Amino acid sequence: MAQRAVWLISHEPGTPLCGTVRFSRRYPTVEKRARVFNGASYVPIPEDGPFLKALLFELRLLDDDKDFVESRDGCSRINKTSIYGLLIGGEELWPVVAFLKNDIIYACVPLVEQTLSPRPPLISVSGVSQGFEFLFGIQDFLYSGQKNDSELNTKLSQLPDLLLQACPFGTLLDANLQNSLDNTNFASVTQPQKQPAWKTGMYKGKPQVSISITEKVKSMQYDKQGIADTWQVVGTVTCKCDLEGIMPNVTISLNLPTNGSPLQDILVHPCVTSLDSAILTSSSIDAMDDSAFSGPYKFPFTPPLESFNLCYYTSQVPVPPILGFYQMKEEEVQLRITINLKLHESVKNNFEFCEAHIPFYNRGPITHLEYKTSFGQLEVFREKSLLIWIIGQKFPKSMEISLSGTVTFGAKSHEKQPFDPICIGETAYLKLHFRILDYTLTGCYADQHSVQVFASGKPKISAYRKLISSDYYIWNSKAPAPVTYGSLLL
Amino acid sequence: MGPLSRDAWAQRLGAFRASPSAFMAGPEGEDLGRDLLGDLRSEKLSEQTKVSLLALSLEYPAQLWPDVSAAEVAATSLLDTLVLLPPRPSALRRPLLLAATTALAAGGALGPTSGASCRLLPLLLGLASGSDLGRGFVPASEQRPLQATACECLRELESCKPGLLGGSLGLLRGLLGQEGPVQPLSLLLALVLRNTLVLQSRVGAGLGGLLTDKVSPTGGGPWDWTLVEKGDGRLQPQAPSWPAAEEGEGERSLTAREHSPEEARELRAAVIQLLETSYLLTPVAQAQLLWLLGWALRGLQGQPPALFKPQLVRLLGTAQLTLLHAVLALKAAFGEALFTAQDEALLLRRLTLAAQHPALPLPTHLFYLHCLLSFPENWPLGPEGEEAAPLLLGPQLCRGLLPSLLHDPMALLARLHLLCLLCAEDEEEEKGQLPSPRHYLEELLAGLRQRAALDEGPWALATVCFQASYLVSRCLAGQPTVLTPLIHGLAQLYRVRPMLASHFVDFLDQVDSELREPLKVVLRQEVVSRLGRDEALCWHLKMLAKVADGDAQSATLNFLQAAAAHCTNWDLQQGLLRVCRALLRAGVRGGLVDLLQVLARQLEDPDGRDHARLYYILLAHLAGPKLGVALGPSLAPPALASSLVAENQGFVAALMVQEAPALVRLSVGSHGVKGPLPVLKLQPEALEPIYSLELRFRVEGQLYAPLEAVHVPCLCPGRPARPLLLPLQPRCPAPARLDVHALYTTSTGLTCHAHLPPLFVNFADLFLPFPQPPGGAGLGFFEELWDSCLPEGAESRVWCPLGPQGLEGLVSQHLEPFVVVAQPPTSYYVAIHLPPNSKLLLRLEAALADGVPVALRTDDWAVLPLAGDYLRGLAAAL
Repeated sequence: MAQRAVWLISHEPGTPLCGTVRFSRRYPTVEKRARVFNGASYVPIPEDGPFLKALLFELRLLDDDKDFVESRDGCSRINKTSIYGLLIGGEELWPVVAFLKNDIIYACVPLVEQTLSPRPPLISVSGVSQGFEFLFGIQDFLYSGQKNDSELNTKLSQLPDLLLQACPFGTLLDANLQNSLDNTNFASVTQPQKQPAWKTGMYKGKPQVSISITEKVKSMQYDKQGIADTWQVVGTVTCKCDLEGIMPNVTISLNLPTNGSPLQDILVHPCVTSLDSAILTSSSIDAMDDSAFSGPYKFPFTPPLESFNLCYYTSQVPVPPILGFYQMKEEEVQLRITINLKLHESVKNNFEFCEAHIPFYNRGPITHLEYKTSFGQLEVFREKSLLIWIIGQKFPKSMEISLSGTVTFGAKSHEKQPFDPICIGETAYLKLHFRILDYTLTGCYADQHSVQVFASGKPKISAYRKLISSDYYIWNSKAPAPVTYGSLLL
Repeated sequence: MGPLSRDAWAQRLGAFRASPSAFMAGPEGEDLGRDLLGDLRSEKLSEQTKVSLLALSLEYPAQLWPDVSAAEVAATSLLDTLVLLPPRPSALRRPLLLAATTALAAGGALGPTSGASCRLLPLLLGLASGSDLGRGFVPASEQRPLQATACECLRELESCKPGLLGGSLGLLRGLLGQEGPVQPLSLLLALVLRNTLVLQSRVGAGLGGLLTDKVSPTGGGPWDWTLVEKGDGRLQPQAPSWPAAEEGEGERSLTAREHSPEEARELRAAVIQLLETSYLLTPVAQAQLLWLLGWALRGLQGQPPALFKPQLVRLLGTAQLTLLHAVLALKAAFGEALFTAQDEALLLRRLTLAAQHPALPLPTHLFYLHCLLSFPENWPLGPEGEEAAPLLLGPQLCRGLLPSLLHDPMALLARLHLLCLLCAEDEEEEKGQLPSPRHYLEELLAGLRQRAALDEGPWALATVCFQASYLVSRCLAGQPTVLTPLIHGLAQLYRVRPMLASHFVDFLDQVDSELREPLKVVLRQEVVSRLGRDEALCWHLKMLAKVADGDAQSATLNFLQAAAAHCTNWDLQQGLLRVCRALLRAGVRGGLVDLLQVLARQLEDPDGRDHARLYYILLAHLAGPKLGVALGPSLAPPALASSLVAENQGFVAALMVQEAPALVRLSVGSHGVKGPLPVLKLQPEALEPIYSLELRFRVEGQLYAPLEAVHVPCLCPGRPARPLLLPLQPRCPAPARLDVHALYTTSTGLTCHAHLPPLFVNFADLFLPFPQPPGGAGLGFFEELWDSCLPEGAESRVWCPLGPQGLEGLVSQHLEPFVVVAQPPTSYYVAIHLPPNSKLLLRLEAALADGVPVALRTDDWAVLPLAGDYLRGLAAAL
């Protein structure tokens, strides 16, 4: 279980090479083992230049990627994971774990401890999951709290020293690079025994525990016969525990009100020491019934120093917070649109913001607009062919608002107006963006009194909640729309 | 050269990193390794610069110190630098330890004869055990970090040389129980334990007291390399037999590893100790520990896998990729022994959940999907190594894993695969479900095709559409209910966007004939139904060149005739001619002759006209099979990337004689002595089937009359061929060398010419007997010949050495047919006719034990030396 090399590459479309290697690190002792294990099928780690070129080609990130190239676009070259084979100098380097995120390509080559021909299944290669974790760790480090390019550069320049700590020989010791940074900065003099490896120091100060629950709600609404609307809540519970002692124990309970929606698909942080089997088995895969476990959900754990995601969950609430319909019809030269949105009465009518984005893809700029709205204001982005309906902080008393109008478009010019492979013809959507503070759709809350802390001093406990929309689509009911299998199960 | 400044080094390191090979080939390359070691001790450089130098040596030791001795020197120098550090905190100790370790391990210098190894190993072990190394070697503030680093270094060395620390097992275990840093010691102990178990079991030994012996293996003496030597330096894979058990490995692991009860108890205690503190490790380190211990204990008697059970519930709850992967590894290692059917179902559910959990990133989803389709089931049904949906993963569980158009291409393909597997399962089951997965699949494919048909759509959309279609065709082959709509959908896609011709051609190349043939038909119809005037003509021609065959000739030809009028540029004309060529290959003749004639006259481009004329000539003059070969893919790689050149080379290959390596071997067999002429008996042998073989012979020096060519209709390897008789007509009685050429046709229809190794006609090959005189007249006949040789001829006496067989043996083996008078075993008179008209007469009489004097006469002076050589050579040939 080790990595032979790791790279960070910035994707720079429009430049001659389309990218630059920002960081690379090779592990020669692992490479030596690779040569022995792989035998005749061994392919050495290339230098940065050839690697960059081959990776960008494979990921289809070169500027001149317009033509059909059999070795990449052939119908039998199916890639179903983020793990690639790169053709370099006539040989294929495999497995290369790689993904693109925020214009940075994260890549590494895990050691395979056997011959590569025939290729072993990825599941049997221990280095693959380690490679992913390594890259995710670097990604978290680069983007945690980072705001601009110079901060990114600073963090990139810290990487060589950090990897000397976190991965000195290609075997990853800690995916949390921030730990290694703290370790370098404050070489702890008196680390006692049995200090967890994921906790590099000790907190000194006023004890406090902060718990914040963020729920994202996504939805696909069709307003159609035979297709069910779908919606789902995804929750993240983030904790920061500032507690003294080597290994303070904390138990946090998440509670639901009497009519709350059960939490499902719960994934916990590795610091959670034990789990109730009801938590482990409560899953969205099963049909819901009244016997579903509805809490309290207890999570005993030993917190790390930093802020961490204690758990994730999903939930199926009975109704979507905002129910809408969207009708769009092409009438000769113009589009006629009608939109109706209704806030469910059980939802807290106090938004931080609420907007409906109505994009028009694959068309020219908006040249003319006539509209009538019962509430809120409409902003027009003519060149982007986009309307934004600003609903504001509150729905009116009726809880129901509408917008109707006609839109006319100019001639298409390819550079400016957005292309979308799905919104063809009358297939169209509007997307809702909203945020409600101090509220969760499931009703889930962390009861401050039920937080148990086994550490010296009584900590101050604070809890926060918020609901955010995410991928909240309402499709034009007058045209075909992409459905998921779940929508067909009525 | 004095030490470089910080900037000079920064520049130098930058240049090196930009391209190590270029830098090493340059003028500065040679000195880099030496300068680096030297400047580490320079007082002018800051620690930060020195750390960057060491960082370089950690990555590129093979470039800096390319051979074993250089690596040894480097490691020694790094260790010296470490020892010379002043006794105050320094950022250099850790990287120096890492660098020395890397230099030894990567440079191949690690071993009992390496001085640096013998210094480094005790130093590391001393640091790891936290013992006082004296003289303020380790400042107190660095003690713990260095302890951890030393463990890491030892672990790396143990990975590269399994068994290295086998003798320290007890010591390490003791340290873990006391004060040591948990993670580095746990990982080191687990690795050493695993390696020792494997190595000891290989020689049929147990752990002995290794786990309890707490003395340092060096004990002041030299390092113990015996375990390393037992392992022959073989590396130990993490999961040695997943998925398919290596031959014999499984059995041995079950039988050879017998441990005494005490050993087993100690081992169990050590494993429990490691597992119980494993929550103190980072998640990635926990995963490593589980992989190591799981596969080390697999099949070990007295070590119940239930030891792992307490960890599992905790691990199953997390979303950590490495942890869940490690659980899957345990599942693969122990199967039912650790996971009951219910546990298996729970694991599968957690995996299914993780493969779609909105909180996890896409690469994680994709990897979990892969794990689902390669899930190590307790009782797998399908063939090993093939992706399949596990039995317990029913449609209900899969519901959230099915693809939709909104997915990223990779997720879509991965989920599509699952959907296909569902559709492929029993149709009976499916009836109960609404909507049917098959119907959903059809809708999805239609959606993909719709996206691919978009005018401005990026190629990637088309690529995904074809990849999805290919996946479906592979998983659901033999299911017309799926394939028929697929074929029609694709035809429709072509109608809307002929630009995708390249994708179609590739698709046709990849799919099975079950799909290919009907798809070709509909695509051909799609093309030929549009007569002329089409902007997409070039795509249609490309498509037609792929799908045109002997069927629907008239429609195809009509289309081509109509298209010809629009083929105004070189490109289009070439496209048109490619279709003609495809038709020629398919054996279309009738209407094509007319079309080619028209093209040869009408095409604007002279090159196109020439081509059309060439095809016309080929069509008119070559028989079907030969035409097929002539127009087949070129054998020779084209010298220029031009279609014409490539094509011409194809013709040259097919229609002209090719120089080729000889596919036939000839050997000279025993020669016959019947008839009026000497005849060479040749044994041909083919290396590949060849046809119409013609062998041509040329006599060097015109010693014989020109030889007739020999014809063989067919030769096959392994099938015995009749010997070939080659009559010789000597112009003078002398040995000769025959030049041999072969001309033949290969099974692919190519005519080849090959130069074979020369054949040698020996002097004895020319011997013919005189007609036998009537009984009893032999002596008189011989005397007559004997006398007739002089005075024109020549006479000589030769000593012919005899082998153990004596004179009788010699005569019977070499001269039997030519003996005229015989008085065995003492006297033989031999008369040989040498064509065209010479004679050679031998009297072999009064043989002694080691030789026989031979009196010889000939009527041809030139024969005398040859005869002498021949006789002297006989004994050697015996």
